[in-house]
Amino acid sequence: MTIASKTPLTAGTKRLISLSTVLPWAFAALFLLILPVVFQTSSALTIMNQMAITIVFALSYNMLLGQGGMLSFGHAVYMGIGGFFAMHVLNMVEYQGLWLPLPLLPIIGGMFGMLFAFIIGSFSTRRAGTVFAMISLGVGELIAACSIIIVVFFGGEEGISGDRTMGPEFFGMDFASQSEVYYLTVVWLMIAAILMYLFSRTPIGRIANAVRDNEERAEFLGYSQRNVRWISFIVSGFFAGVAGSLFAVNFEILTEENLNLATSGSILLITFLGGVGFFIGPIIGAIVFTLLQTVLGLYTEIWSLYLGILFVASVMFFPGGFAGVIAMHRRPLSLGKLHLLTGPYLKVAIPAVTSILSLAAVLEILFHKRHGFAGDGAMSLYGITFDSHGYQALGLAIVIAAISLFLVSRITPEIKAAWDEANHAGDDQ
Amino acid sequence: MTAPALELRDLSKSFGLAKIIQGVDLKVAKGERHAIIGPNGAGKSTLFNLITGKYAPTSGGVYLHGENVSGLKPFEINRRGLSRSFQITNIFPNMTVFENIRCGLLWTMGYKYSFWHMISGQQDVTEKAEEILEQINLTSRRDLLAGTLAYAEQRALEIGITIAGGADIILLDEPCAGMSHSETALIVDLIRKVTEDKTLMIVEHDMGVIFDLADKISVLVYGEIIESDVPDAVRASVKVKEAYLGTTLEDEGV
Repeated sequence: MTIASKTPLTAGTKRLISLSTVLPWAFAALFLLILPVVFQTSSALTIMNQMAITIVFALSYNMLLGQGGMLSFGHAVYMGIGGFFAMHVLNMVEYQGLWLPLPLLPIIGGMFGMLFAFIIGSFSTRRAGTVFAMISLGVGELIAACSIIIVVFFGGEEGISGDRTMGPEFFGMDFASQSEVYYLTVVWLMIAAILMYLFSRTPIGRIANAVRDNEERAEFLGYSQRNVRWISFIVSGFFAGVAGSLFAVNFEILTEENLNLATSGSILLITFLGGVGFFIGPIIGAIVFTLLQTVLGLYTEIWSLYLGILFVASVMFFPGGFAGVIAMHRRPLSLGKLHLLTGPYLKVAIPAVTSILSLAAVLEILFHKRHGFAGDGAMSLYGITFDSHGYQALGLAIVIAAISLFLVSRITPEIKAAWDEANHAGDDQ
Repeated sequence: MTAPALELRDLSKSFGLAKIIQGVDLKVAKGERHAIIGPNGAGKSTLFNLITGKYAPTSGGVYLHGENVSGLKPFEINRRGLSRSFQITNIFPNMTVFENIRCGLLWTMGYKYSFWHMISGQQDVTEKAEEILEQINLTSRRDLLAGTLAYAEQRALEIGITIAGGADIILLDEPCAGMSHSETALIVDLIRKVTEDKTLMIVEHDMGVIFDLADKISVLVYGEIIESDVPDAVRASVKVKEAYLGTTLEDEGV
């Protein structure tokens, strides 16, 4: 991602930190500071906290999937374990008078995430591919089952809860207010994200990529593929544990849901949606997912259906995820031909948005028709109120969808042509 | 007397009932360029895989500078100073050419599993990698993804990765496979250049390359070495002629 490594001249310089590396982080920090000034409501803060936690979790997941080539179906285990231990420590602070300022709690949670990753990784990282995936699935199921059985630790179905405000004050903050928790969370978000980014630039981080690409070759260069994966796995477990601790701090309750397979599945989805090939991918994925989940969730009950469609569409058409789509535009940009794309993009925007909205309308009307009370067909969509049981509205939605999709299909070749032109260097190479 | 750089003692490998390598004895002196030739299916690649630790031998041993390394993992053998290239191009396709070379350097330059160094700040690694890129004529391709290189360039990169770590014993598995005449000439020059003062073992089908490069040639047929001598002696050997053309002649003779 850094521009620094792109040109031979700057790559060899002795400057450890280049401006182009620091600038995005500085902007991100500034942005995170300003965010709560703009969105002040408690629910907005909750959404932002949730986002930050998901970002840390997704970044830690991408250390496995994107950086190390390990497809895990059980990453929630390490977040959950970290969270449960953090919660127990929180309760020790409250009841046994353990001295621990709340902002240090994620370190404890991270340590436990790391410990479990160390133990489980010792056998799961021997092989990548299907073997690793199946072990991660098995361990995920095992720990999730344990969480119901071992009530003393996991609290059974109710889970365990605590009170974050009982610890010693930290520079006058007792973390009773949502905004104090926000700052705690985003400081950890920055720390975790920067550390994970730096990890990817270390020798072991680069060799993790090498093992992902070609484990056999890496072995013939002196690296044990198992050790390389194991180290990535342990570090990833630490940050998952940090995410779990932040969850514990924010929501003050942890349940089986935090480490079950559904959570493991959704982090895979989030990371993939954002784009596994780029450091920023999981960040985008986490933001989009949380927005869809919370904001879209306010408007429609079938938000997860849309998410599923988005996921399938992404896998089929944009395997690089959101970050991949953005990165696709780097070449036209560097050739100074980005303007060739704006015309076709604007042209397709209206029919594309219309087709998405009208297809959503079809789904919503069908859903309303099926689940609405008998006789109560009144439905409101996009500010229009109509009878969902009649055929007019449904018919209209289908017709609009068909027309707009037809228009999209007509414009597609034009976009393709513009795309080829924009990516063509112009002179022969 | 110093131990040979590479020695095989009664090395055998069976896959089930199939005896692929049957008691190979071979000594490669330090600094020697040793070629292995033989018809298809003679077990040349298996021999390489035995030496480099991809397979464990069924019996017998592999000795590097007198030390028995049979049964060790590839990375352990590599750390003892043996590096290999592959018949099928085996690079890191999603990393840049520069990064491919750098991966070959990290272990031997002492960075190992380090997570406390920033890789871009390590001047020594960067310089060494640039130097190797220069040697294999890929400086202009530095920042391209390795997977996007032309075939011949990928083969050169393959050799670059192999020699990067500074191993003193280099095994090259058909480095010229699938190359045009002019490309082959370039690669042979490259091999000669980068294996200076090193022990080289090479498997190759192109006889021109073999007789051009090798100090000694061993002929492997059905898992056995039937001849191991200087190129001229091998060229004159009756046994070798039989092996390459023989079976059919014998059949006709009967």
